Amino acid sequence: MTMIINRRSALLGSAAALGASALGMPAFAQEKRIRMFWWGSKERADRTFKGNELYMAKNAGTKVDGETIGWSDYWPRMATQAAGRNLADVIQMDYRYIFEYARRGALLDLMPMVGKTIDLANFDKNSVDCGKVDGKLFGINLGNNSTAMLTNAAAFEAAGLKPPTSAMSWDEYGKLCAEMTKAAKKDGFYASMDAGGLEPNFEVFLRQRGKNLYNDDGKAGFAASDAADWFGYWDGLRQTKACVPAEVQALDKQNIETNALTLGKAAVAFAHSNQLVGYQAVNPNKLSIDAYPSGGAGSKPGAYLKPSMFFSVAATSKNPEEAVKMINYVINDPEGLKAYGVERGVPPSSKARENIAGDLDALGKAQVDYIAAITSKVGALPPPPPKGAGEIAFLLRRTNEEVGFGRVKAADAGKKFLDEASSILSRA
Amino acid sequence: MASVVFPSDSLGSRLRKSLPAYGFLSPWLIGFFCLTAGPTLASLYLSFTNFDLIQDPRWVGTANYERIFTNDPKFIAAMKVTFTYVLLSVPFKLTFALLLAMALNRGIQGLSVYRAIFYLPSLLGASVAIAVLWRQVFAGDGLLNAFLKWSFGYQGPSWISNPDYALYTLVTLSIWQFGSPMIIFLAGLRQIPQDMYEAASLDGASPMRQMLKITLPLLTPVIFFNAVIQTIEAFKAFTPAFIVSEGTGGPVDSTMFYTLYLYLEGFAYLRMGYASALAWVLVVIIAVFTAFSFLSSKYWVHYDD
Repeated sequence: MTMIINRRSALLGSAAALGASALGMPAFAQEKRIRMFWWGSKERADRTFKGNELYMAKNAGTKVDGETIGWSDYWPRMATQAAGRNLADVIQMDYRYIFEYARRGALLDLMPMVGKTIDLANFDKNSVDCGKVDGKLFGINLGNNSTAMLTNAAAFEAAGLKPPTSAMSWDEYGKLCAEMTKAAKKDGFYASMDAGGLEPNFEVFLRQRGKNLYNDDGKAGFAASDAADWFGYWDGLRQTKACVPAEVQALDKQNIETNALTLGKAAVAFAHSNQLVGYQAVNPNKLSIDAYPSGGAGSKPGAYLKPSMFFSVAATSKNPEEAVKMINYVINDPEGLKAYGVERGVPPSSKARENIAGDLDALGKAQVDYIAAITSKVGALPPPPPKGAGEIAFLLRRTNEEVGFGRVKAADAGKKFLDEASSILSRA
Repeated sequence: MASVVFPSDSLGSRLRKSLPAYGFLSPWLIGFFCLTAGPTLASLYLSFTNFDLIQDPRWVGTANYERIFTNDPKFIAAMKVTFTYVLLSVPFKLTFALLLAMALNRGIQGLSVYRAIFYLPSLLGASVAIAVLWRQVFAGDGLLNAFLKWSFGYQGPSWISNPDYALYTLVTLSIWQFGSPMIIFLAGLRQIPQDMYEAASLDGASPMRQMLKITLPLLTPVIFFNAVIQTIEAFKAFTPAFIVSEGTGGPVDSTMFYTLYLYLEGFAYLRMGYASALAWVLVVIIAVFTAFSFLSSKYWVHYDD
């Protein structure tokens, strides 16, 4: 929709607004307004705005205003809005942050509305429970996802090699990528992104060893040697040119748009399954989806199914009923479900999955099949990350950079990382 | 003017006289008290609390300040980065601005055009757009490296994503915004009476000697002014580091400016109380620097009267 505002209409508009405020009544007394705030790519924005429009067409008298921003700017903005008691009514929430916000009283308990305004009858128990904090329901799961390796298979085939699979160990993956970079012979092109600074990768790696990123008590669940092995592994990949150099990885903003795969500098990205939709939207080559490399013989499952994101309602919302109705629309109404597709993950409601099955394109199917295929192989959902986990995710990235730029030896980086992480955890 | 008050005036008539002045000042006054003074005082209070932006603040005494000075390696690292930035960018920027102002002051044709062109980066400089542009120019496959490769066959590093160079690209960005001190220098140069130069050249003083003995001494008040303002600005620099490093202070914290560290503590890690304390420490640092400049000024700043 394009709106052209000329000087006169702007004047008229502001005069009308002034008049209305002078009379002491809101300009649209009949209209219920709700604000919605989410992070994500352009693909997600398009789908969400579409959903909002459809909802408004069906529910005259409700106006849904959407605001969106990238992941890394999202949380500072959210914190600022929370401080200003100005949170959006419907907030996209992440598993990492739901505890922090819920325990600090920023979110509304949705339990009283379940079965009334919101229907979770077709959700399996795990998919509902992951949105609970201390027995109250603070988030409605929008989709399940898991870690996923996205590969530009054609690039491997063009180099005369088979693309990597989850059947490979990390070492085999590294060797294949080194060969691939060599065979591709393209300036500034490497087989893999450098995922040494990505928290989900590190966590999968630890879980394959039977360790955890965080234990139930909120402390670090790994040893310095585990972290040293991890940093050393990626250091090896950088040295054999299997992955992009530190200089290139440093420009990655940890979003789809700046990933080395998207920029054509690598053929593999480590991401989450729901992101297949977003990645494919900006990648000319067909991407295939598989789980991360395995821990080798005798290793444990590293991946787990997790709620990709929630919709929560702000405790300060003036229209909580409307906000919840809107959420119910996108998790149960065939129209809303269709607008969102599987871009936010595979819908947790079995009925919803049936509803959208017919409309899914190849990309959506690939994602649904992937989740179905790994469901029997994944491990349990770990406890939600402790306070300070966000800062430690930054720390992991920085430590990987320190190794990448030769500031710290990989062997020493493990202890350094663990010490700093422990100090953050004890402070938070 | 409000300060010109005749003793015979009653309070009422004085108020009546100064009312229009306050009326005209009111946008600034309201802005100052509501948008600057209020939040500033609030942050002083918050610096003694554990405010996390969501819950109500709880008083923790001087714990935040104690941590800053005894137990925060990131504070020291951020100080190092910030001081490097200030100590490099301010002298270079001022020298550059002064030299250009002198060149422009020689009465070349089209002065106003040059002045406008040189001033342009300062108008744009603090903006996000320029920082984004800078990112493009200094990236590994950016404009600068394309130029270096094309003209010298030299493959440059990725200037902004390499911890050895990232800070210096930001210093360069700051120097490039020499426009506003340049304009002030130019105005200062115009104030110097021409007859001094005439007298000096009659006495056989070389242009170099004229510069050292006339221009620089008479310009010291302007140099002093510019130095104070630019130092304060440099301590407060935030936008370039935030945009160029994508808000991380990276790579490897090489562009972790003090203000950026403060921002991350407050808004990313939800430690607004601690961030407020950091802000007040910065206020004190800037105040000390400024006071030091003023104290030293009587030894080198030459006031005409």
